[in-house]
Amino acid sequence: MTLSIPMIMLLVVAGVVAIGFYGLIISRNLIKVVIAMQILVKGSLLALVLAGRTTGKVNLGQSMALTVIIADTIVAVIALALAVQIRRYFGTLDLKSLTTLRR
Amino acid sequence: MAGFLILLTIGIPWLGALVVWWVGDRHPKVEHTLAVIFSVVAGAVALGLVSYNNFAEALHQPVGGAFGDFTFIPDGLGVFLAAVATVIGSLAVIFSVNYMSGEIGLGRYYAYVLLFIGAMAGLVLTSNFLLLFAFWEITALCSYALISFHNDDPKAVKGGIKALIMTQVGGIGLLVGSLIIYSHTGSFDIRYFLTNYENVPYVALTVVAYCFLIAAAAKSAQFPFQTWLPDAMEAPTPISALIHAATMVNAGVYLLARFYPAFEYIPYWRTAVIVVGVLSALMAALMALVGTDLKRVLAYSTISQLGFMVYAIGVGGIFSSQFHLLSHSIFKALLFLGAGAVIHTVGTRDMTKMGGLGKTMPFVRTVFVIGGLALSGIPILNGFWSKELILESGLAEGPIGSYIIMLIVSGLTALYTFRCMWMVFYGKPRSELHSHDAPLAMGISLALLAVGTLFSWLLAGPFNRMLSMTLPTHVINLKEGTAILGDVLLEPSTYLALLVIGLGIAAWRWRKSLQGVVKFLGVFGEEAAAGFGFEDLNQGIVKLVQSGAEGLRITQTGLLSWNVLAIAVGLAIVLVFLALGA
Amino acid sequence: MLYILIAVGLGIWICAIQAIRVHRLLTSAIWLAGASALVALMIYLLDAPEVAVIELSVGAGLVTVLFVFAINIAGEEELAIIPVLPKPLVIILIVVNAVLLIVLNLPAFGVELPPVLGGQFTKTMWQERGLDILLQIVLIYSGVLGVLGLLSEKKIHPGEEEQA
Repeated sequence: MTLSIPMIMLLVVAGVVAIGFYGLIISRNLIKVVIAMQILVKGSLLALVLAGRTTGKVNLGQSMALTVIIADTIVAVIALALAVQIRRYFGTLDLKSLTTLRR
Repeated sequence: MAGFLILLTIGIPWLGALVVWWVGDRHPKVEHTLAVIFSVVAGAVALGLVSYNNFAEALHQPVGGAFGDFTFIPDGLGVFLAAVATVIGSLAVIFSVNYMSGEIGLGRYYAYVLLFIGAMAGLVLTSNFLLLFAFWEITALCSYALISFHNDDPKAVKGGIKALIMTQVGGIGLLVGSLIIYSHTGSFDIRYFLTNYENVPYVALTVVAYCFLIAAAAKSAQFPFQTWLPDAMEAPTPISALIHAATMVNAGVYLLARFYPAFEYIPYWRTAVIVVGVLSALMAALMALVGTDLKRVLAYSTISQLGFMVYAIGVGGIFSSQFHLLSHSIFKALLFLGAGAVIHTVGTRDMTKMGGLGKTMPFVRTVFVIGGLALSGIPILNGFWSKELILESGLAEGPIGSYIIMLIVSGLTALYTFRCMWMVFYGKPRSELHSHDAPLAMGISLALLAVGTLFSWLLAGPFNRMLSMTLPTHVINLKEGTAILGDVLLEPSTYLALLVIGLGIAAWRWRKSLQGVVKFLGVFGEEAAAGFGFEDLNQGIVKLVQSGAEGLRITQTGLLSWNVLAIAVGLAIVLVFLALGA
Repeated sequence: MLYILIAVGLGIWICAIQAIRVHRLLTSAIWLAGASALVALMIYLLDAPEVAVIELSVGAGLVTVLFVFAINIAGEEELAIIPVLPKPLVIILIVVNAVLLIVLNLPAFGVELPPVLGGQFTKTMWQERGLDILLQIVLIYSGVLGVLGLLSEKKIHPGEEEQA
């Protein structure tokens, strides 16, 4: 296992994705969840660019990365708008008290 | 040119759906007019497309390889069904101008109808399995939305959900079959599969054949899936005419006809198809005989006639089944629209309350009688020619037992048709009902359909030629022009069938003297009215699924964290499988 | 080159962990901005300058402004620190996933990066991925409409009031 650029990048990507996933599961505040999702998507961005480089299809990887940036920004925008409305109508952003499913 | 016409045939109704929905419910007259214009234009385009029929691909759109290419082929099977869908669609829309006047939610109604017409045209013209499945699902969606159109009526909603679930089960069969074909041939193209079906290993091909049979049976309301069609009669009558008589239920028959060459030699497949067709025809005819709801009787009749078509495919008569499909679409739509005219004015669907309506509704009576005669198979009308062709191929190539049963069903058809016509239009009125003859828009559609019933059999020759020229994978005996019709007249089986039909009509005429027989069969009649136990089977399945779902409810906690945890666990399992060398 | 990448990678890790760990939302958003900037830098170091620029302006700029805006409107909230699920379980699960991912991808990454021929990005983007661009534009418009729909008051049509 040589310490080459791809190896380091792989470790970084795996780490960022892991941190993002962890944040997604563990967070209790709705906005924190959106932040964690953003981190997860940054990891996937790096993965896309990296994958483009290693397979030789550089342009494809970068185009996909651009699409992912735009899509994930829109998702964050709408999620934040939803969070603001939830705060207005429910008074709280706590995940545990937001659920209305009967248990 | 053909490709452009295909785009128009699918695109114009879809564009119309968006436009009518956008116009909004505050301008109902505009909505009516726009819907009629769009559907009539689509019908004209589809009729123009018929002259461009060809066995070559007309439209080929590569979409990146993952789903194959989106191809459309205007071959004989496809263009004729597309023409049927759009033309009868436009007639149903014209009928709706009067039938649905004053209803709320018109935009929703017309949008779904136009969406359905476009999707049906796309379904029969496409040559890509996934597009076929996509259009299949769109038609199921529109059917559900239109059955439950009066969504404040619980019966309508129940009927819609029942139709949706049962046809979706069929859709699963279609999807699984397509994916199995893809995994063995590497292509999503239907034409490619039909020419290279030997490359698919035997077991897989058998599974695919039976999956497609399930899909077709569920969509066309054949045994054992026949319970959804009678309950779908809660839909407004133009919808019953369009979707549940003339187009969507034809999709199953189309599927079987399209894939027949590939599945012909699978052992017992043809037998299974014949059994499905014969059982559906027989059971539905018996249920129609004891029915009292006008639309339900027509629904049972549809199931029975579709059984004829399925039986025809089972014995190998592709042309006769498609020709009967053409005739049936026309006369069944006529019957349904006529029934709609009756129901619209008298306000009830119960035939025991009707009677003697012929005096106040002479025009509707005339067209309904024309349709009824075609359904029974009286000579000169289109039903006669197509039904005789089916019985001929059945006698020549099928098991003799099934032929005899189908002959008896033809007699039963005549019997229940005459019963239905008599109960509604003749005799003395059984209760005080307000009635007047059909208004203009309804009259136009009914008249056009009646003309079609009287004359569409003349298309037999060109239709045969179109099918045999453009379907290179099917074996269709090419016979010119009136030679086919001449054959029908010369076959002894024709006269045998006419005899049985005559017996059926005679049985109705002298029913009073047959009261003894009726009492003896009374027990049978109760079973028939209860749907031969299939309704109870459905209820049982529904209860089972609901109790299972109640038990699984504890997994839905409503907390995001649990859901993401489940995602992470799933990911771990997949990765473990991959690491172990899958 | 190698050491710069290691440093930037460590920086991303630290910023991300801090973004999850801190309790105040505004601080979390700032840490996210830092992580985005470092990610943009790393993408630039991987020879993809256009993507890096867009990521920097959108990811580190626009999204951070949006977060700050939303946090100000929604307000900070003092929450109980007990998470819904036990932390050790989650950590084990995540570590298992990460290790498996790395192990599965190892063979593909043993080699050096191939050299990249530059300058083809815009041509590819517009010609070969045209459908993508179109869909992104549709996505942006639907996002704008969605936000407008979510954050606006309901309008009552005068006609409906009379019918009701």
